[in-house]
Amino acid sequence: MRVLVVEDEKKTAAFVRKALQAESFAVDVCHNGDDALAAAKAMPFDAIILDIMLPGRDGLSVLRFLRDRKNTTPVLLLSARGEVNERVEGLNLGADDYLPKPFELAELVARVRALTRRGGESKSVVLRVADLTLDTVTHKSQRAGVEIELTAREYRLLEFLMRSAGRLCGRMMILEKVWDYNFDPGTNLIEVYVRRLREKIDANFETKLLHTVRGAGYILKEKT
Amino acid sequence: MTIRRRLTCWYAGILIASMLAMGVGTFMQISEQFRHNARKKPYESALEEASEMIFQVGLPAVILGLLGGWWLTRRALDPVTKLTDAVEKIHDKNLGEKIPRTNNGDELDRLTEVFNAMTARLDNSFQRIREFTLHASHELKTPLTILRGETETALRDESLSPAERERGVSLLDELRRLTHIVDSLTLLAKADAGQITLASEPVRLDELVRDNFADAQILAEPHGLKVELETCEEISVRGDRHRLRQLLLNLADNAVKYNQPQGRVTMSLRRANDAAEFTMTNTGAGIPPEILPRVFDRFFRGDPAHENTIEGCGLGLSISQWIVSAHNGTIQMDSTPSKLTAVTVRLPLATTTKPA
Repeated sequence: MRVLVVEDEKKTAAFVRKALQAESFAVDVCHNGDDALAAAKAMPFDAIILDIMLPGRDGLSVLRFLRDRKNTTPVLLLSARGEVNERVEGLNLGADDYLPKPFELAELVARVRALTRRGGESKSVVLRVADLTLDTVTHKSQRAGVEIELTAREYRLLEFLMRSAGRLCGRMMILEKVWDYNFDPGTNLIEVYVRRLREKIDANFETKLLHTVRGAGYILKEKT
Repeated sequence: MTIRRRLTCWYAGILIASMLAMGVGTFMQISEQFRHNARKKPYESALEEASEMIFQVGLPAVILGLLGGWWLTRRALDPVTKLTDAVEKIHDKNLGEKIPRTNNGDELDRLTEVFNAMTARLDNSFQRIREFTLHASHELKTPLTILRGETETALRDESLSPAERERGVSLLDELRRLTHIVDSLTLLAKADAGQITLASEPVRLDELVRDNFADAQILAEPHGLKVELETCEEISVRGDRHRLRQLLLNLADNAVKYNQPQGRVTMSLRRANDAAEFTMTNTGAGIPPEILPRVFDRFFRGDPAHENTIEGCGLGLSISQWIVSAHNGTIQMDSTPSKLTAVTVRLPLATTTKPA
């Protein structure tokens, strides 16, 4: 998997590169829009992380240019302005995701993973992680054959975690997908919900499935 | 013409008029007296005639003078009253608006001019403070991004000791808090600068309230609080779904944070006087009446005893207030200390298309 990082702030570009490389992505870095266009033309990427505020040609203009050229590489926009209009404009121009700065690195990596795996997501009706199953039609969940009662929100949280099983899910991602919040409410809502969900799916079992990565997010997987 | 000159002229006019009235009156009285004399009236009645003359001539002149004086004062003070009314309407949001001038070059017109210049200077300063806050919050974002990223990168190092890891994670928690404050500040600064456009779509408020009720129950559970949804009528408003969610969650978060153990939180949504009325109450320590008007102020934390025990940055209610006013609604806080604190939000109903 090859990712292009377009970010003029050198330090930010450096740790993003490092984090993605640690996740075994091949990473190219550009510091301005024109270089980014040249790089995107020279070779195919699996995803592009594009800062909106760039010297010269800005991120939105790069994006417009790419989409005009029928380049469909998934694009994740970054912005320090974090304006709703900007987000909407970016998504209308064909961006696939948008992350306001300051972002959590784990969140960024999780989103890039989601972007590069798009289409490969499990389409099956019954999701399964180890002996935990979730039926997306009947909304019924079982662990080792024992039925688990879930509230509507718990169901959505579990469905999201199971669909991204094995991948780290950041706080903002969970808020967006499960709560439909596009802001960080600054409450411990997620923590409390995860605690409850954990009581339901993990408390009575030896093998824990729902893990907290402190300061980063949550991950549902069989082994730690 | 200056007011002094104008008033002097008017006053002179009134004096002349009343003197004229007196003169004419006296002349008529005297001429009548001559006629009386011609008919050889007794001399004793002269004194009577004199007092009669005073009543018939002096009194109207005095009354004319008084009325004229009253009219003059009113006329003189009228522009002052108008100016007072105009000045009264000025607040921090409309400093840019000018008080209309008469342009007749008098003292009050000059005062209005000076006043307009002053509000313009104030407006300028306010503008600068707003821009400063906006720039400051933008500028903070780049170093914050780097700080976060570097801390997270450092934490990826497998060779860290548990104590070092703990320190790093604690740093990250504080960074998250700082990020939240900066985000809130940016939001308010942008709102002040009128840079935020909210969506205006029909929103089923009752659905948002039900969602919020579920979230509040979860938030309240660790504190042993009881959350009740008293009524939830089906109501639609026009507005921004995300912001309204944010509003409800802010209020629920407060109701839980400032409650007492084993306390209660209630919510209700009903139609009242052509508005959607959402009320949330909590049984916390409450807010003393003297600080009640300040709860929506930025960074205002009511109880200093709570300052360090309750998480939050003191911007939640300011943001809530902004969201409500951006939806043309009102928000109100009432409190009976150590009994019940209620926050009431009123939003205009979505105008439904009337059947033809």
